[in-house]
Amino acid sequence: MPILSLLIFLPLLATALILALPTRYKSSYKYIALAFTAIQFVLAGICYAQFDASKTGVQDLGGYQFIEQLSWIRLDLGSIGKLEIDYLIGIDGISMPLLLLSAFVMLMAIGASWNIQKSPKGYFALLMVLNMAVMGIFCALDFFLFYLFYEVMLLPLYFLIGIWGGARREYAAIKFFLYTLFGSVFMLLIIVGLYFSVINPLTGAHTFNMIYMMNPQNYLEGSIFGWEGYQEILGVSARLIGFIVLFFAFAIKVPIVPLHTWLPDAHVEAPTPVSIILAGILLKIGGYGIIRICYSIFPDMAALSNWWLGLIGVVSIIYGALNALSQKDLKRMIAYSSVSHMGFVLLGIASLTAEGISGAMFQMISHGFLSAALFFLVGVVYDRVHDRNIYSFRGLAQIMPKYTGYVAVAFFASLGLPGFSAFIGEAFVIIGSFNAASIGTGLPRWMALGGSIGILLSAAYLLWTLQRMFFGQIRLKGGESWSNALTDLNSREQIILFPTLALALLLGVMPALVFNNLNASVLNLVSFIQQFI
Amino acid sequence: MLAFSPYISSFIDQIIVSVPYFKPELTLIVTFIGTILASLFIDKYWKHASFVITIIGLLLSGCYLLGQGISRVEIAGFFDMISIDAFAIAARMIILLATILIAVFIQQRHQERPLGDLYAVLLTATLGLNLLTMSSNWLMIFIAVETVSISSYIMVGYFSTTKVQSEAALKYVLFGSICAAVMLYGLSLLYGFTGNLNFDAPSHIAGLMEAPQIMISIALLFLLTGIGFKLSFFPFHVWSPDVYQGAPTVITTYLATVPKIAVVVLLSKILSAWLNVSFYFSDFLTYVIIAIAIATMLIGNLAALRQQDAKRMMAYSSIGHTGILLMAVLVYQNNESNVLLFYLSIYALMNIAVFIFIDALEASLGNTTIESYRGLGKQYPLLFTSFSIVLIALVGLPPTAGFVGKLLVFSKVFEQYQNFQSFGLLALLLVGALTSVISLFYYFKIPLNAFLRENTGSPAVKFNMVLLCIGILCTVAVLILGIFPDVLLSAF
Repeated sequence: MPILSLLIFLPLLATALILALPTRYKSSYKYIALAFTAIQFVLAGICYAQFDASKTGVQDLGGYQFIEQLSWIRLDLGSIGKLEIDYLIGIDGISMPLLLLSAFVMLMAIGASWNIQKSPKGYFALLMVLNMAVMGIFCALDFFLFYLFYEVMLLPLYFLIGIWGGARREYAAIKFFLYTLFGSVFMLLIIVGLYFSVINPLTGAHTFNMIYMMNPQNYLEGSIFGWEGYQEILGVSARLIGFIVLFFAFAIKVPIVPLHTWLPDAHVEAPTPVSIILAGILLKIGGYGIIRICYSIFPDMAALSNWWLGLIGVVSIIYGALNALSQKDLKRMIAYSSVSHMGFVLLGIASLTAEGISGAMFQMISHGFLSAALFFLVGVVYDRVHDRNIYSFRGLAQIMPKYTGYVAVAFFASLGLPGFSAFIGEAFVIIGSFNAASIGTGLPRWMALGGSIGILLSAAYLLWTLQRMFFGQIRLKGGESWSNALTDLNSREQIILFPTLALALLLGVMPALVFNNLNASVLNLVSFIQQFI
Repeated sequence: MLAFSPYISSFIDQIIVSVPYFKPELTLIVTFIGTILASLFIDKYWKHASFVITIIGLLLSGCYLLGQGISRVEIAGFFDMISIDAFAIAARMIILLATILIAVFIQQRHQERPLGDLYAVLLTATLGLNLLTMSSNWLMIFIAVETVSISSYIMVGYFSTTKVQSEAALKYVLFGSICAAVMLYGLSLLYGFTGNLNFDAPSHIAGLMEAPQIMISIALLFLLTGIGFKLSFFPFHVWSPDVYQGAPTVITTYLATVPKIAVVVLLSKILSAWLNVSFYFSDFLTYVIIAIAIATMLIGNLAALRQQDAKRMMAYSSIGHTGILLMAVLVYQNNESNVLLFYLSIYALMNIAVFIFIDALEASLGNTTIESYRGLGKQYPLLFTSFSIVLIALVGLPPTAGFVGKLLVFSKVFEQYQNFQSFGLLALLLVGALTSVISLFYYFKIPLNAFLRENTGSPAVKFNMVLLCIGILCTVAVLILGIFPDVLLSAF
């Protein structure tokens, strides 16, 4: 059974179904979306269950699982050579957990969009297209295919933010689009360069196959990104330029400071479900891209520049946390906390140690559903009174005790309390970056310290917010009408929140559920890069 | 006269031998006469007569072309005045198909008045374009360019009723005739240097090598003036926004797509004949074209940012696309025309679709400002979804054919860069990538207005279903060719 193709293209079927159904059945759209996403979740679960944790993946095609390969575009272009584009998908330990996470977060997002009133047809159709693109990104092993999904993802997001967003939605939508496109257009040039540099050893044709791009032996001598025959562009090593351009294309998604400014705007203007997807899945695409593409295709440059990546990670952690501390808008605060938490991912990746990279992966998973839960919780208040200002609320604990309970758990889980998943991720990243100095990967110990300060700051802004909004006397900006509107969580909201937070606890207690599957791939990646240190 | 008499029989032989290769064009000429006669005598009784004859003629011409394509002839006829190769056949095929679409567009859009003359003019323009793709003789080229130009002047002015439209037509005529005169001067200089009128003849190229540097530079710049007017690249682009906006949308569609195809083919033939030697004139030409391509991309895209009118915006957008086409032309090498042809056909497809949509909206809204599309996306989801998809293709985003076209052009340029390490080519790539980001801004103004903004009063819109279907079919083709480009690419 082509399980991955099903996983990718089922949502497209849902889109077709939603578009084909006339508008008078509009109440059924959400059920269609939910059903298809649930099937996807089951399929992703099957992938998880059948996953062979001993297989390595990364730069070894034999180590990938559920591989599907079809020749897609074959063209003879004369002097450019034969164009060889495959429909090649497969997963390894790095993509599998993210695939499962995506299916889970999508399910949450559908749940959060239950009360969408404004043209539900377009909304759910776009959401399903986005779903397809995201799944495709995590499965694609052909760079052309990857790029296709990567760009296709932007269009539904533009419209989802632009049509269903808040007051400044036009600005936020185009800003988000331009930032990402700016990165990806230059990525396209690098893809073209790689295409000319790499030869499929079996057919002798140029190829877009990412796995072939990871093997130094497949590079033509003297080609632009070739290993032998040093090439320069304007006096800088061509491989370094390739690495930097790809890194920035993905780093915009992560996002790193100073390229993060689209994120708060997009989050604040986006409707709750889109915020959930943005924080839960799209930021991970940045981290995934850095591991899968930048690090695996340019391992030599990864080893060369990891000090800078680590620095960017630390700056993002601390700058994001300080910004979160000063925000008055709850959603904006959580958006900045995402910047800070994703900084850990970058720091962990930069450490080039098995602990660090595993920690980064774990942090991505953990942040994936925790930030989704946080945005969902913001959405709960916003739905009821259409206000998110922290200072508009006080003493919510007395009106909404259940809500306060969930918020408290989510906040504690996010700030890295031991026993929750975020702790494992952050701890491993810090261990990894601390050990990096002794292995000699070039990451100084003070960067680990920077990470710890970030954890401290995240405790400060989260706990301070908890105190400001939920404790003390009841004092609401909207007075009586607000206290009537602010009803406690209903069962739909609890059904969505409970499994998420339970998962945070479960993974915090049994991190092996994720680590076991990651391990072989991460070790392989680390040893692959360490040859170049 | 007496001196020629011994050769007359061989001349006639040559002409008789060449005629079969000229069948597609002869068909056009016969159709041209047929259309005029029909518009004079038959249109009174059956008003579609001239249209039907035009379509039949174009299809017949297409059949002959197909025959040439299948037999893969590579032949020179009429004393080397025309030379037919696979490139010319494919280019003419694209021109013909686009012209058929335009003819249908005209027929559907302007039913209120007799159009026989317009079809006749359309056919002469097609004839001129066909000659452009086949010829390597300067005289023939000049005649072809003038045939196209004069036909275009008539088309722009044909419907003019308002002051803006007459102004557009007059501007076009004045600008066009001056450019043509300058080009003719350039050609006469080239003939003076080389004593040969065939631009790919060895003696012609040898003459170019030996010509004095200043004079050859001037001659080449003069030549580019004429070509630049037809392609509307910088700095000869200034006419196009006014003309595009002022002319009826059907004619704008024609001007923005079909003539460009032929002129691009011509330019790429000239460059591929000249640029594989390394002398002053070829280096000069390379740098000039690179500079023009960069300036054209930047100016077209930056100026488009500020436009409020969809047609004017599309004029600047097509200037921007000319820059990309110039990139493709620059790296075109003999016998490897499929990238160029792919881009040209996609370009034609996208432009025709966009203008059909603009026209459909113009017909009911009465104007073409982007503002007036406010909130219409919800009312006409099919039209605006297709419109948005085509705009996405124009930006060059997957999964559309516009992306594949751009990718292939970039690949060609990159390959050349890898071979020669020339900074100019790298600059072309960077500017090409940067301007695609810029272009997102203005193309997306349309979906932005249609979908993201609220409606301010809904006009009663009645669409022409035939045209709308053509537009949507073009959109579907753009999508399918984006996912399976080899369908079209392997045909070239």
